[in-house]
Amino acid sequence: MTTVTNKTDNTGDVRLSGISKTYDNGFTAVQPLDLTVPQGSFFALLGASGCGKTTTLRMIAGLEEPSSGTVFLGDQEVTSLPPYKRPVNTVFQSYALFPHLDIFENVAFGLRRRGIKSVKKQVEDMLELVQLGEQARKKPHQLSGGQQQRVAVARALINTPKVLLLDEPLGALDLKLRRQMQLELKRIQTEVGITFIHVTHDQEEAMTMADTVAVMNAGRVEQLGSPADLYENPNTTFVANFLGTSNLIEAEVDTKSGDEIVLKAGGGKLVLPEARCSAPTTTGGKVLVGVRPEKISLTHADEAGEIPEGRNRITGKIADSSFIGVSTQYVIDSPVCPEFEVYAQNIDRDARLVPGADVVLHWNPAHTFGLDAAQDIDAGIQEEAAV
Amino acid sequence: MSTLTEAPPLAPVPEKKPPRKRGRLVPYWLLLPGILWLVVFFALPMVYQASTSVQTGSLEEGYKVTWHFATYWDALSEYWPQFLRSLLYAGAATILCLVLGYPLAYLIAFRAGRWRNLIMILVIAPFFTSFLIRTLAWKTILADSGPVVGALNTLHVLDVTSWLGWTSGDRVLATPLAVVCGLTYNFLPFMILPLYTSLERIDVRLHEAAGDLYARPITTFRRVTFPLSMPGVVSGTLLTFIPAAGDYVNADLLGSTDTRMVGNVIQTQFLRILDYPTAAALSFILMAAILAMVTVYIRKSGTEDLV
Repeated sequence: MTTVTNKTDNTGDVRLSGISKTYDNGFTAVQPLDLTVPQGSFFALLGASGCGKTTTLRMIAGLEEPSSGTVFLGDQEVTSLPPYKRPVNTVFQSYALFPHLDIFENVAFGLRRRGIKSVKKQVEDMLELVQLGEQARKKPHQLSGGQQQRVAVARALINTPKVLLLDEPLGALDLKLRRQMQLELKRIQTEVGITFIHVTHDQEEAMTMADTVAVMNAGRVEQLGSPADLYENPNTTFVANFLGTSNLIEAEVDTKSGDEIVLKAGGGKLVLPEARCSAPTTTGGKVLVGVRPEKISLTHADEAGEIPEGRNRITGKIADSSFIGVSTQYVIDSPVCPEFEVYAQNIDRDARLVPGADVVLHWNPAHTFGLDAAQDIDAGIQEEAAV
Repeated sequence: MSTLTEAPPLAPVPEKKPPRKRGRLVPYWLLLPGILWLVVFFALPMVYQASTSVQTGSLEEGYKVTWHFATYWDALSEYWPQFLRSLLYAGAATILCLVLGYPLAYLIAFRAGRWRNLIMILVIAPFFTSFLIRTLAWKTILADSGPVVGALNTLHVLDVTSWLGWTSGDRVLATPLAVVCGLTYNFLPFMILPLYTSLERIDVRLHEAAGDLYARPITTFRRVTFPLSMPGVVSGTLLTFIPAAGDYVNADLLGSTDTRMVGNVIQTQFLRILDYPTAAALSFILMAAILAMVTVYIRKSGTEDLV
């Protein structure tokens, strides 16, 4: 690639360096934060309400002034630029469409403000892109939620911003429409190649749409990575519990052999690959051992002998089970973990696996991850339940 | 209509019918007090005034309905300067109210924060004193030897206003300016309250969205805030203009014989000269004129789909 294209390539980079936000009442919404979003990526800020994700987005848009730090768009520092001078556009939560203007004028608003006279062609093309050509002369309140959402996207995208900011854009839509719009937004992003920064509290939404997800909690980025990486290798209990469900067991480091750590939990032993442990492991030290519910197999206690060697195993009693269709979700009462969750695919259902049955849970040690035991084991659980 | 067509199949179930009937009448019973009030205090006086305006006669011999419509023409041709003056003063006061009230309403709606309620109370506070007392107070404020006139004189403002014909010589009292000031002062809250209500309803995210879409603050105001506050502007100007056009207290207390408004004429005709037909005719002409103007105004401002 030539230097010229290299130069244009990073104009859509967003670099936040040490930005923080403390409000007048002393509440710190965002702790000093460094973040780089590369040009053309679909980046998600994921977290529960009040975690600082929207404040971060608003600081990029210029709607909120950072208490410290700087914001860069490409090579340009924009920290003190007012929003109307920044080459970014926002899709607002609940859209903020202008109620007194029709759809055409809503979409044309940004172009007109920049002094562009002949907007007709561009607006019509944009409305075509979001499949709203017919609705051009309607007022926003005459449109459905999904249509309004598309107007909001069109109104922002028509300005071909360097970065498009999306603040919970799908929050007001029902589940089916939300799924549809997720794919739609992903399609548009691939088509236009603009950097998208998407704020959401919906972990599924973040995982399906984004290339990179930053999980935020209490004004900090807890962990940043690809959706699969975050899911498989959470670094903190918050991430482990907030993204999907994790079973966390308190264990004690027994021995280390090669790249594996052997831990004592309850009466049994568990094996954890050292590479998947984010906590310091000194012999005798405490570690939280985690495993995802779908990685676990259930075997009735009578057939415990048939379980292959080398798998992590835990005994317990089925406390509850619910049939979901493709899978059955079990809650297991185990001495090491009172509410152990297991999702079993309904391939060959064992009729004896009903509440009250004694079972052995076993899984491949490679699916085990280790976390620092100094953290709150329940962090991130409440938040997800509230969603 | 649907209840009528449904009635026959319901007939065999008599125990269901009575509550339905009662339920249907409830809205009318609830309307009754309001309708009675309107009939007694609005419709009947209107009919009575209308009939008065076409009567002829005298106090001694009594008045009779003679369908004497010439009273209207006579009243209009004799008192058209007062009509014109009323509309002019009311119009000036309305514009002044809008110019003074809009920034204040904007401030209360968007910038006042925790002071919002206090400022609102201050806006309404004058209502705790009688209209008459407050207008009399302006007599003292604008008195010839008072500080206001003194200051305006020193600054040579009065020279300009005299030249414009708004004041005369070194006086403010008993001039058009004093009457318009009094009207503005007295009707200002009626402008601020509706303006505040419609500004307060505007979602601040619309301001952010406009800023995000490259509109400077002044453009945001012109393109988003002001158009969205039009319902408040329309109702505020109506609530100011209509009573101001019919007002006679301000012209009476702060004005002179040269600033008489149509309200003063009607008052004099009714209470001093006792020429009831002319007074009634003048009232109707004023009402018709205002109605016509308001209709055109509302049509032009096109706020139907904003309200």
